[in-house]
Amino acid sequence: MTEKISRRDFLKISGIGVTAATVITGCGPSSRYVTRQAYANMPEYNQTGVSTYYATTCKECPAGCGLIVRTQEGRAIKVEGNPEHPVNKGKVCSRGLTTVQGVYNPDRITGPQKRTRGSRTFTSLDWQAAINTVEEGLKNPQKTAFLLGLQSDHLYDLVQEISEKGGFGKPVRYGTLGTLDGRSTLLRATQELYGFDQIPFFDMANADVVFSFGAHFLETWLSPLAYSRGFRQLRKQPFGKRGYIVSFEARQSLSSANADEWIPIKPGSEGQVALAIGKIAATKAGGATPTLFADVNLNDVSQISGISMEKLLQLSELFGSDNKAIALPGGSALTTKNGLDAAKAILALNVLVENTSQPGGVFPTFGENHTSDFTAVKALIAKMNAGEIDTLFIHGSNPVFELPASAGFQAALKKVKTVISFCTFEDETVIESDYVFPDHAALESFGYQRVLLGSDREAYSSIQPVVAPIHDTKATGDVFLAAILASGGNLASVIPYTDEVDYLHKTITPLIEKEGSYSAGELPTFWSKWLQFGGWWKTAPELSFSEGVINLDQKLSLSPPQSAKEGETFHLVSFATQMGDGNGANRPWLQETPDPMTTVTWNSWIEIHPKTAEQLGIHDDDIVEVKSTNGDFSVEAIVYLYPAIRPDTVAIPFGQGHTALGRFAEGRGCNPAIVWSSEVNQAGDLALSDTTVTIKPTGKRRPLARQESKEGVYGGH
Amino acid sequence: MTELLAKEAQDEKWGMVIDLDICSGCQACVTACSMENNIPFVGEDEMAYGRGMQWMRIRRYWEGEYPDVMPDHQPMLCQQCGSAPCEPVCPVFATLHSEVEKINLQVYNRCIGTRYCAINCPYQARTFNWFDYEIPAPMNSYLNPDVTVRRRGVMEKCTFCVQRIVKGRQQASAEGREMEDGDVTPACAQACPTDAITFGNLSDPESRVSKMVRSDRAYKELENLGTEPRVTYLKGGKSYGG
Amino acid sequence: MKSSIPLWQRSGFRIVGALVLLILLGGAVGGIYFTQIPPEQPIPFPHNFHIGVGAQCSYCHTGTSTGPSAGLPTTDKCWGCHQQIEPRNDNLKLVASYGSEGKQIPWVPVAIQPDFVVFSHQPHINAELTCETCHGDLTQMTVAEPQKGQNMGWCLDCHQKMSTPEEFVLLSDCATCHY
Repeated sequence: MTEKISRRDFLKISGIGVTAATVITGCGPSSRYVTRQAYANMPEYNQTGVSTYYATTCKECPAGCGLIVRTQEGRAIKVEGNPEHPVNKGKVCSRGLTTVQGVYNPDRITGPQKRTRGSRTFTSLDWQAAINTVEEGLKNPQKTAFLLGLQSDHLYDLVQEISEKGGFGKPVRYGTLGTLDGRSTLLRATQELYGFDQIPFFDMANADVVFSFGAHFLETWLSPLAYSRGFRQLRKQPFGKRGYIVSFEARQSLSSANADEWIPIKPGSEGQVALAIGKIAATKAGGATPTLFADVNLNDVSQISGISMEKLLQLSELFGSDNKAIALPGGSALTTKNGLDAAKAILALNVLVENTSQPGGVFPTFGENHTSDFTAVKALIAKMNAGEIDTLFIHGSNPVFELPASAGFQAALKKVKTVISFCTFEDETVIESDYVFPDHAALESFGYQRVLLGSDREAYSSIQPVVAPIHDTKATGDVFLAAILASGGNLASVIPYTDEVDYLHKTITPLIEKEGSYSAGELPTFWSKWLQFGGWWKTAPELSFSEGVINLDQKLSLSPPQSAKEGETFHLVSFATQMGDGNGANRPWLQETPDPMTTVTWNSWIEIHPKTAEQLGIHDDDIVEVKSTNGDFSVEAIVYLYPAIRPDTVAIPFGQGHTALGRFAEGRGCNPAIVWSSEVNQAGDLALSDTTVTIKPTGKRRPLARQESKEGVYGGH
Repeated sequence: MTELLAKEAQDEKWGMVIDLDICSGCQACVTACSMENNIPFVGEDEMAYGRGMQWMRIRRYWEGEYPDVMPDHQPMLCQQCGSAPCEPVCPVFATLHSEVEKINLQVYNRCIGTRYCAINCPYQARTFNWFDYEIPAPMNSYLNPDVTVRRRGVMEKCTFCVQRIVKGRQQASAEGREMEDGDVTPACAQACPTDAITFGNLSDPESRVSKMVRSDRAYKELENLGTEPRVTYLKGGKSYGG
Repeated sequence: MKSSIPLWQRSGFRIVGALVLLILLGGAVGGIYFTQIPPEQPIPFPHNFHIGVGAQCSYCHTGTSTGPSAGLPTTDKCWGCHQQIEPRNDNLKLVASYGSEGKQIPWVPVAIQPDFVVFSHQPHINAELTCETCHGDLTQMTVAEPQKGQNMGWCLDCHQKMSTPEEFVLLSDCATCHY
């Protein structure tokens, strides 16, 4: 037996020896000495080993919660809530907490790029070339369009000003979170019924009875943390009083799961149910029944909604009693063809119980919410198709992923000569773009959020960088302003800002005069307090509502919802999860945090009622083809047998199904937006809840990574 | 200085109260805990094998039959048992009861990975590092410098954010005062959108947790096993009459 | 074909076994040796000279009384004095090059704890310990050298000597240093 150990092998083995020593002593040479870059010039406020905290604003959704970010040695360590902030009062949700995983994501775009459309190849540019390209794009206002996302407000305000003064078309502002909420519908209904121009604030905290029509107030509705606090206060009222929540929706969401009663009604029948409740309550109260409610036929409502007459009477009794009641119009009720009238019917319930401008009722919020409805997006697509757009600027939105496939955005994009994206990640839209000029990530940028839907007072939330940018990125506001300044033309003379911070200074200057939680004599002091406190707001809540008479003597035309063919077609419910508008999918801890209802991680699924699945011969973890009934679009989804959904309804969460967006997001689950109907309702919102689908088994299976014990739910597998 | 620290320490008995009536099950605590404590993410396959590393998990049970079906959400974490089943089975004393915080400690550098403790834990609150999980650069930049990054083969579990307890104690002693209720907030309680989690010192009869523990809604999970959990739940939802 | 000699009696096996043992032993000795020698520094900083001219430890290592980490001096701090000193040798020229360009000096910290130990200077300084208790007599050192035998037993010994039995409950608690 011969064993030769070459010198090379011997060295290898001694290497192992040293490693073994490392393991044995726990502090071997490999880990013992680490070089540290001592500061050349340490910031005054900094001390090695001691954390510094900065106030800023969360950019993960449009709610604008205040954050305090813990930083140490120039790194953002942990996101915490800002206890003084009127929206979230020190609390944070999963999305906000994982902001740091967006900043330090390994898949970020590290600098400006010129790209080849439809592929992942690119050449790097410098910022001067990028600014020149933007300058070129701004030269022809008629043929340039802006597509922005719901956050942040300062960039929208700036672009809005540029468009107005430079003769560009109105920027389109679109985000799926707004669409799933039916925000345009809610706004229109509020304007038409209540006569004010803001999305209302619903004072859940002081109500006794809450009727939620599909409002996901604990998840993604309007301002999740503000309404979560409202939920707490509702449950924990003085003297042990506990508010009662009834939730109407076809698929039980987390918010319904926390309600005291969940009423699984047929999708699209929310408006009629609201009318029926109003009619019964009004009749009970005596006096004349307002015209709005008078015409509804209770038996019909009971029939189409699937609520028994007895239950309907009982609920109406509860709503119309001496309790302070409030009705919340949520997304699934509004994103149907009847959406606008349904919203009015639900809002009218609040008028009926006279809670408008009362504690526990409905108030206007502060600041007008400029978001575009889907009609505006459609108009943009039509213009793109007609070749009327040469340059398209896209920021904060991922239209290729978020828009229904039937809207044809991707095809229209091919007709645009120059597509410029400002995304920080290589998302689906960047893949289809010519240039990407990456914006700073959330914790690296300046700005403000103006519309705070969860705030009970006038408030502006400031965004400031808590860490220095780690890549060669540039604030989009700065890019636009630099391009305008470089062009030197007419536009430069009407846009008087040197850079983004200068714009912010000039925009917040009027606030100095207002009475707020702090005062300052002049801008530099105000600015430092603005950054220190994370914004500016009034000291005390000031909800008020000086109304005219709200006229309930109008007629609504609610057509009965379309029925699904039993066992063949199904209503499709789409809902936002912790991935938000899909941008969260590249945060590993959002992927790994289980979905609250299904405990599924790292994937998406289609929720099917166990009975329906049995009829169709489908089992847990089967892959099915989900095909829209009015189009040729289909997706494949993994089945999750969900006991809390109507048998004629299926549900797919929105946010997964990315084909780009980095290693953590790609190739997981399915994107329900592909099968959404691209019809709109009277308010111009996407009527996505009207989507019906067929389900076909594919014969494939793929187990979902769920945290729950499989045996615990449906028996052995 | 040291006397104050020591006096402080003798009075400590940390406990947590979770109000299930307002816990919505939203998982913010789970994410907050993971971000605070450098918990590695394991990916889809490992999650499917049940090797997720979350120190806290929300147990969801369906109750009832459609249409009266509703889930119950219960956050489950290390109960920091006063008489902990995990402790006597550890051959190397890597899990032991601290005489100061009166919580269950996991000493990573002692742990040799026998996993006896996890098997003996009736709450299944312990997780094991089956691998060295990669946190690709520059994502490691957000790691909390106050918490050890665990390596493969080590057991871990909720620590009641002991790094924050130590910091709070040092802070109080540096200011020359005794610790007050609310000085220490673990990451989960800090994030909880509905404020369902309360944390405090059980040895102080006036602290918020001590008052809540005396509530008639209070119960402890698997109390009959004699584990003396330091986490108290307040019954909620349908199990709570009003 | 089955060999009649048991595996452990074969000379080849024994030689290989002995070699493996030797290698492991050598590796372990080497590993321990590497932890006991001072690491190479970008500039061989003469602590003894700086103390000799009257610099206090806390002049450069500022964080001891207020935080966990003593901290390393910034280039600005070095350059504050050194720009008035003629760079008469190679080391001073190095300092001058870092200082005049405002570059970070990549120091290698010597007195460091393993990853699983959490150490804070503040309570130790507040308990009126002097620097040389743990870091040795720097007046006798040029570059800082790791101190021998500073293991957990050494920590606990000192904790016990310095405290009353009641205080030692806290000072010997695992969570004082490990979490």
